Amino acid sequence: MNQLNHALSLEEKPRKIIRFNRRQSTLITILSGLALLTAIIAASFLMSDEAIKTHFEARNLSPSWQHFFGTDWLGRDMFTRTVKGLSLSIGIGLLASTVSVIVALILGMAAATLGKTVDTLISWLVDVFMGLPHLVALILIAFALGSGAKGVIIGVACTHWPNLTRIIRAEVLQLRTSQFVQVSRHMGKSRIWIAVQHLLPHLLPQFFVGLVLLFPHAILHEASITFLGFGLSPHQPAIGVILSESMNYLSVGMWWLAFFPGLSLLVVVRVFDMVGDNLRLMFDPHSAHE
Amino acid sequence: MFKRLSHLILAAMIILSLALASGCSSKADSASTKQKDELTVAIAGEPDDGFDPTTGWGEYGSPIFQSTILQWDKDLNVINDLATDYSVSKDGLTYLVNLRKDVKFTDGQALTAKDVVFTYQTAAANSSVFDLTNLKSVMAINDYSIEFTLKEAQSTFTSTLAKLGIVPQHAYSKDYSQKPIGSGPYKFVQWDKGQQLIVEANPDYYGAKPYIKKITFLYLTEEAAYAAAKAGQVDVASVVPSLALQDIPGKKLVAYKSVDNRGIMFPYVKAGNKTKEGDPIGNDVTSDIAIRKAINMAIDRKALVNGVLNGHGAPAYSVCDNLPWWNPETVLKDADQDGAKKILADGGWIDSDNDGILEKNGLKAKFTLVYPSGDSVRQSLAIAVSDEIKPLGINIEVAGKSWDDIKRLMHSDAIVFGWGAHDPLEMYNLFNSKYMGVDYFNAGYYSNPKVDDYMNKAMLSNNVTEADAYWKKAQWDGTTGFSALGDAPYAWLVNLDHLYYVSDNLDLGEQKVHAHGHGWPITDTIAQWHFTK
Repeated sequence: MNQLNHALSLEEKPRKIIRFNRRQSTLITILSGLALLTAIIAASFLMSDEAIKTHFEARNLSPSWQHFFGTDWLGRDMFTRTVKGLSLSIGIGLLASTVSVIVALILGMAAATLGKTVDTLISWLVDVFMGLPHLVALILIAFALGSGAKGVIIGVACTHWPNLTRIIRAEVLQLRTSQFVQVSRHMGKSRIWIAVQHLLPHLLPQFFVGLVLLFPHAILHEASITFLGFGLSPHQPAIGVILSESMNYLSVGMWWLAFFPGLSLLVVVRVFDMVGDNLRLMFDPHSAHE
Repeated sequence: MFKRLSHLILAAMIILSLALASGCSSKADSASTKQKDELTVAIAGEPDDGFDPTTGWGEYGSPIFQSTILQWDKDLNVINDLATDYSVSKDGLTYLVNLRKDVKFTDGQALTAKDVVFTYQTAAANSSVFDLTNLKSVMAINDYSIEFTLKEAQSTFTSTLAKLGIVPQHAYSKDYSQKPIGSGPYKFVQWDKGQQLIVEANPDYYGAKPYIKKITFLYLTEEAAYAAAKAGQVDVASVVPSLALQDIPGKKLVAYKSVDNRGIMFPYVKAGNKTKEGDPIGNDVTSDIAIRKAINMAIDRKALVNGVLNGHGAPAYSVCDNLPWWNPETVLKDADQDGAKKILADGGWIDSDNDGILEKNGLKAKFTLVYPSGDSVRQSLAIAVSDEIKPLGINIEVAGKSWDDIKRLMHSDAIVFGWGAHDPLEMYNLFNSKYMGVDYFNAGYYSNPKVDDYMNKAMLSNNVTEADAYWKKAQWDGTTGFSALGDAPYAWLVNLDHLYYVSDNLDLGEQKVHAHGHGWPITDTIAQWHFTK
């Protein structure tokens, strides 16, 4: 008996350690993802500017313990530059996705509730923006606003709403035909009351998941537009700028200039993607209880 | 099993493609060594407006298709090209030029005085980079002599005669710039815009016959040119210092000294006014002489040369270092932080709120330094200078802008400019009060009556030694001048070396000190280029 118990407990113990339930593991993924991103932003504020000043005595160094990502042709520490660039990207991404989500929420609800004309107009707008190649629209806006950080931020912020608008519009259309909304309407509740009391709570999950899933898009677009030379000054530590600069030095064998910043960008984008997917798992009524 | 097979196939494909790639490159190698009288070069320098000298072609380096009336030898003495001799009247207003009689354009027609007259009249009407506003008239006296009459005496007019290529009147039309005809050492064959220019030796050339029969100029980006040189596909490639780190087998790295300088232009007047276009003029911080002098003194030019240019350059102290009209007294002792701090303190700049930045009457010692955003050398210089100056308590913010933006900012922000010409006229344009706000010239609105006076005297002189003496005084006469010792409207930083990867057995002739513009100026000696074995 004793032996049996012992065996049982042996069997159970490793189980307890390794296996979280689905909900827990989702939560852990989300939290560790968020922790990494906050760490990047915090680090960029804590790191002094000293490391990204010119240090002629430490030029073109390959990665070492002193300079994790090596140094560039002016002796600037690539690790610091990358972290600062990433945090700029995350900042722009945050702003852009917030703006996009709010725009999408307003337009999507307006399209679905304010009658046919408004719906046609907004659907047309969505079609126009989705028909235009995204990068072209971005470049147009950034250029029209006079290139610079402002142009990039506004450009990225103003071009990511159409997809989400469409989803929200469809969701609202579906909700409107549901029974509880019909009942409310027949009982004489105002449109706004219905929108706030019935529709919004159902849209919140879409809102948050949309917010997080827009992040990687916004970051990649920010990086590509700065890579193409629209937007920020070439000395600012934006990830696209760093990548496009380092292209010039690949042919002389300074691979670390492009490799580590590129890898970091990839990791950050992937982390956001993972956080978004897991958030959806938790929020989505169909999968929330798995 | 299937997985293994696919791995095998993949490995086989990789090996095959590697073999193919190496096969290709070795083919290219053998091609370039076999043909001894053909060259492929990648030295950039594609003109936007085609090859018409009357609209600016040939400003830098040789116009190669056309020939000029005069030219410079390697020590920058003026010698004849199309001319057999020339004379200047006593008052410096009239230039009389006699032409050689054996010169033919590549279409067989003779080059005569009427072509020269036509060229100068067309160029004057085009108001191009060749400034002919001072030319009153140009007249053919007979078929082979021409008389130029100037409005005011201009001792630098010989430079214009040495730069402006002569075009044929009979064959000049709207698309001349696309299909040039001239009397130069090479004739035009084909131009694929943005890709390549093909030229062949002119068999009727009146000068020493060029050795190389055919030259292909590839228009490649910096990195592509470097890669092509590495792969053995080009014989000459211009290369920026940051790429010139490695030895390429079969190639030597050649560095030509230049006056291709880089310096910081400071707005010289106080803020407040606007140009006709509405762009702001002046800057309250850089208009203070203590700021300009302190920066000039604190910059460590040798460190910039070693750091930014990998040692391929020299410290610059003026716009015309080592040219005949340069005043050597303008070399100053730099990298002197203490001296600079003293100048600032004497000038009334004190850090009263302990934020690391100096103030004077509530004005912070802070200004923006703009560099053209596509230029990696100027970008590095701007960043490095900003970091070198910060310990003084002057905060220089750098910003990369397009040339269009720079045109609007250059009267009110400091700019990293580059100059350097074989012609003291450039100095005149940069520092004469007449040229305040004209094009990129005196963008900072510098003016000093004494400097103006010296430079006018230099212009009026009809004798080179006397003119050079006045040019030197304009830089520094012991009390004032436009160099860093005097008013310091610029902080000159470095003179670039012009770097080229050149095939080991190729001789590019004796180059003179290069002017501004990296790449094309090397064609100056194009008729002397030859393989040594």
